[in-house]
Amino acid sequence: MDASSFIGPFVPELLLLGAVLLVFLFDVLGIRRNEGLSTIAVAATSLALLSVLGDLGFAPLGVFATLPPALLDAAPTGAPLYAFTSLGLIFQAIFLLSALLVCLASASRPSNEKGAPIFYGLLLLATLGMLLVAVATDLIFLLLAIEVTSISTYLLVAYHRRESRSLEAAMKFFIIGALSTVLSFYGASLLFGAYDSTNLFAIGRATSTVGFPVLVLLGYGFLIAGLAFKVTLVPFHAWAVDVYDGAPSDVSAFLAGGTKKIGLFAFFLVFLGPILYIKAIGAGESPFQGGALDLGPVLTLTLAVLAVITMTVGNLLALLQKEMKRMLAYSSISQAGYMLIGVTIGTAPAITGATMQIFAHVLMKGGAFLVVAGVAALGIGPLIDDWKGLGTRRPLLGAAFALMLLSLAGVPLTVGFVSKFVLFSSAVQAQGYFVWLAVAGLLNSALSVFYYARVLKVIFFDAAPTVPVAPTAPPPAEALPAGGLGYGRAVTIGLIAVLIVAFGVYPQPVLGAIQAAAQHFITVGA
Amino acid sequence: MAFAIVGLAGTRLAKLEWGGWVAVAFSAAAMVLGVLIAVGEMLSPGQYVNAQFTWLQLAGAPGPFPNGISLVVGTLVDPLSALMLLVVTVVGFLVLLYSIGYMHQDHGLPRYYAELSLFLAAMTGLVLSNNLLEFFLFWELVGVCSYFLIGFYYEKPSAASAAKEAFLVTRVGDVLFLLGIFIYFFHFATTGPNGGWAANGFVFTNGSTPFLPVASGGSSTLLTIAGLLILGGAAGKSAQFPLHVWLPDAMEGPTTVSALIHAATMVAAGVYLLAITSVFIGFTANDQLAIVAIGGFTTFFAATMAVVHPDIKRVIAYSTISQLGYMVLAVGAGFAMVGLFHLFTHAFFKALLFLAAGSVIHAVGTQDLFKMGGLRKPMRVTAIAFAIGGLSLSGIPPFAGFWSKDDILGAVYSQLGSHPLYWPFFLLAFAAVFLTAYYIFRAWFLAFSGDRARDPSLPHAHEGPWTMRVPLVVLSAFAVAAGLFIFLPNFQSLLLYGAGASGIPPVYGTSDLLLSGVSVGLGAGGIGLSYYLWGNGRVFVLPEASPLHSVRRLLLNRYYMKVGYDWIGLRLVYGISRGADFLDRYVIDGTVRGLEQVFSTLSNQLRRAQSGVVSDYAAYVIAGLLGVFVLLLIVAPYLLAKLGGG
Repeated sequence: MDASSFIGPFVPELLLLGAVLLVFLFDVLGIRRNEGLSTIAVAATSLALLSVLGDLGFAPLGVFATLPPALLDAAPTGAPLYAFTSLGLIFQAIFLLSALLVCLASASRPSNEKGAPIFYGLLLLATLGMLLVAVATDLIFLLLAIEVTSISTYLLVAYHRRESRSLEAAMKFFIIGALSTVLSFYGASLLFGAYDSTNLFAIGRATSTVGFPVLVLLGYGFLIAGLAFKVTLVPFHAWAVDVYDGAPSDVSAFLAGGTKKIGLFAFFLVFLGPILYIKAIGAGESPFQGGALDLGPVLTLTLAVLAVITMTVGNLLALLQKEMKRMLAYSSISQAGYMLIGVTIGTAPAITGATMQIFAHVLMKGGAFLVVAGVAALGIGPLIDDWKGLGTRRPLLGAAFALMLLSLAGVPLTVGFVSKFVLFSSAVQAQGYFVWLAVAGLLNSALSVFYYARVLKVIFFDAAPTVPVAPTAPPPAEALPAGGLGYGRAVTIGLIAVLIVAFGVYPQPVLGAIQAAAQHFITVGA
Repeated sequence: MAFAIVGLAGTRLAKLEWGGWVAVAFSAAAMVLGVLIAVGEMLSPGQYVNAQFTWLQLAGAPGPFPNGISLVVGTLVDPLSALMLLVVTVVGFLVLLYSIGYMHQDHGLPRYYAELSLFLAAMTGLVLSNNLLEFFLFWELVGVCSYFLIGFYYEKPSAASAAKEAFLVTRVGDVLFLLGIFIYFFHFATTGPNGGWAANGFVFTNGSTPFLPVASGGSSTLLTIAGLLILGGAAGKSAQFPLHVWLPDAMEGPTTVSALIHAATMVAAGVYLLAITSVFIGFTANDQLAIVAIGGFTTFFAATMAVVHPDIKRVIAYSTISQLGYMVLAVGAGFAMVGLFHLFTHAFFKALLFLAAGSVIHAVGTQDLFKMGGLRKPMRVTAIAFAIGGLSLSGIPPFAGFWSKDDILGAVYSQLGSHPLYWPFFLLAFAAVFLTAYYIFRAWFLAFSGDRARDPSLPHAHEGPWTMRVPLVVLSAFAVAAGLFIFLPNFQSLLLYGAGASGIPPVYGTSDLLLSGVSVGLGAGGIGLSYYLWGNGRVFVLPEASPLHSVRRLLLNRYYMKVGYDWIGLRLVYGISRGADFLDRYVIDGTVRGLEQVFSTLSNQLRRAQSGVVSDYAAYVIAGLLGVFVLLLIVAPYLLAKLGGG
């Protein structure tokens, strides 16, 4: 393999790595102004995004393409560590989009903030790990890439080091994360014991002949538990609420919009490959009968149960929350349940729906957390009731936030409607008990409307407190310099709002690309 | 094309005092576009798909939709939609103009103009839709707008309840329509060109070829049911028997709204639906018979109720139902364009009648015909306009109504051979001609003839301002001249657009002169009888002993159908609400309270756990892991064995 064919595919990753090194170099040289670092981060992520989009074949961006076309969606040979699938590239684009939005919004952070280089460095490093997840085809490679992201995000959460809430959140995140990592690796080692390989292609080819069904099932069980931590499936979700709540809101936007999706892509990789290769179980057969192994239906049913539990519990708990960030965190957990539907069904339309939902979620939930960050910078408290009258005081901000919530609820002409429509209709198309997944999803969507509507009511119809309430508690750290909303955040939030409507009205460019990619993913197998 | 829509929707922003004029200006622009489109279509007939883009494209997968589903948005102009567009934009413009004079004393005017403009926009969108789903979206929007407009005087309980009634009854139709769409959805998932109609977004045409899915095969029973469901949807919107009950009550809205919605456009949507379905999708023979039956029967049935009613607006309302019956009849016989031609002429003379009636009501402040009288002298323009409208409605040449009604009768006559059951409905429609002429002139004589008002307490009548008179004059001109379209060069061939069955071209002059003669004779007879009973301020009182009294009571009570519906509705609703009450009290409340407790305990637990005890979270993870194992090793295999392989 010559250098050019090695460097070409990894240009986005190398760009990010370069930016990380540059940021840390500046730190050493004493150049720590937020604006400059933010510019570097924005430039790096947007260039990487352009390159990925060019690789995907979006015509006007062809000049940015760096990946040799022969490598894209190539049929797997041997047991490679990584492969470039168009679905993987689409996930890279989604990850880069979420990083880009957060970097752009962070331009509004106080310009003399002390830890700025650390913030951007870690953010870019986490993004780098995410990009690697999207090309992994080997369990060890995959888990290591997840670790790169995880360790960076642990530190990001603790970014406000004098803030005890942040520190506590980071500690919880780290401990539970470490536990999950252990579980994942243990699962991988069990699978290695059964299959004699950690390569996903090899596992996919081997499943029907292996003779240790319980060992394999235990391995998959450990992997589910380990990855479910990232995806925030119930009951592996407990950390998420504290962490999203305790972390700086910009970081929460990145966590909810970006990093949790690597878990979902890992689910795609680990489960869709093998499940597709396992033959369907016959009528009246037990999966343990005979020599051949029929894991598919068992795994599918387990994931289906997890999906339903996750979306229901997330929604029910969101109903009770009084703090905006905790409400959003629970809503994010329930959205993970919707996305898992796509993994469970595993047909091309279902993967399309889940990917679309993930894309929409970057915009909706990432945007919502950024609004929370902006509102905190305006000196408004964390409770939902503190937001009273926002719609009249800051009509544009209120409208943008309303748009994000409506999209989360799945109202037509927003991107959230499109993704839910595609996802649930794929469940109906798949027939069998999958139809009940669609029913559960629809019921949950109806349920979620309640708490979104309540927030809308508070923002638009409840009168603002007549006397400006003096903040009784010490304001959160990020509000300290109270620089107002800031241009970076305003532009980002506006951009997100526009995108939500634009892709809600005309989703075809994104949807078409995802459909083609999902089809490839199903046929190539990883 | 889309300017017509965008322009009208733009007026929703006009929330100011001069909003009315803004709305008028936009609708004038829309009218110019509409006229241009119609003229273009007239000069070179054909089907033009102007813009179409795919809104959502779902890839196929194993299951009922192997070729996927696509939802598209686009516009289509063909003779049907061009004619409808002309009606909607012209009548819409005139009604808006008239509103400025008529509504000037009402409050809530910005709301009025906004709703009216949105209504017109939805109607325009509906007419220009090029596929069934887009059509349905606009159809619903029209329904919602009509609900707002009928209930415009929402402080008035009767208006609010009429709005609700209209909404609920048309909703029954909407549900039927949607079910019909679903049948097409599944039935044509794979049949039809380019991988099935569903995969094509249900567009009506593919380039210049109509899809005609019914012709392209399938089981005919299912398609007959689908056709009947579509008919049900159309019957709801177009107030056909037995879903006609809402329309007379809907007169509670402002008279302008009645004119616009219930004479010219909204009710026309149902006929238009039938027309495009018959041209692009096709009806089975049994569907056609059902449509002819509904149309023919409604024509006569509604006319009988108009004969006795004392309320000027309700008489016209029943007349609308009756005339819609003619249009449905024509579409059922296979002549969609002929039905729409009557819709076209009817829109003008019926809007004229409504606005003239509105002018009368504006002047005397009552809708009771028996209180009016002698209005001929103070309201000369209105009297002449109403008379022209009446003559046109009665089918007297050379007024517009004559040409189109004659075409319908000729068209049905040419199809009588196709099924013996066509005959009775044809005769009913014929008999209705006589009744129509009688009841509309009864109204004219009661209101305008004689020396003075029968109720002396009525205020001194006077004509309205120019914004009210001008539309009357313009519409009068149309009511005279619209029928002359038939002599335009391309029009006769256009009338046969989409006419599937063979038969005599139903065009005046080449069809049966005898038929026309009889129909005109019947109309003249009706007017004569009306003059004999009611002319010159006479009031005809039925003799005490006459057996006709019971008939009159039956008619005044609308055949007791509404009472029956109310009875059924009451029983049904009351029963359901009792059940719901029980559920609410015991089941839901209990559950909610229980859940509340569960959640408050749960969230307290969580709160306690959050005080730093990370090991609890770790315990959840481990418990979750064990749960996954239980699922994987025990529950899932067991369930799958039960399900037989899932």
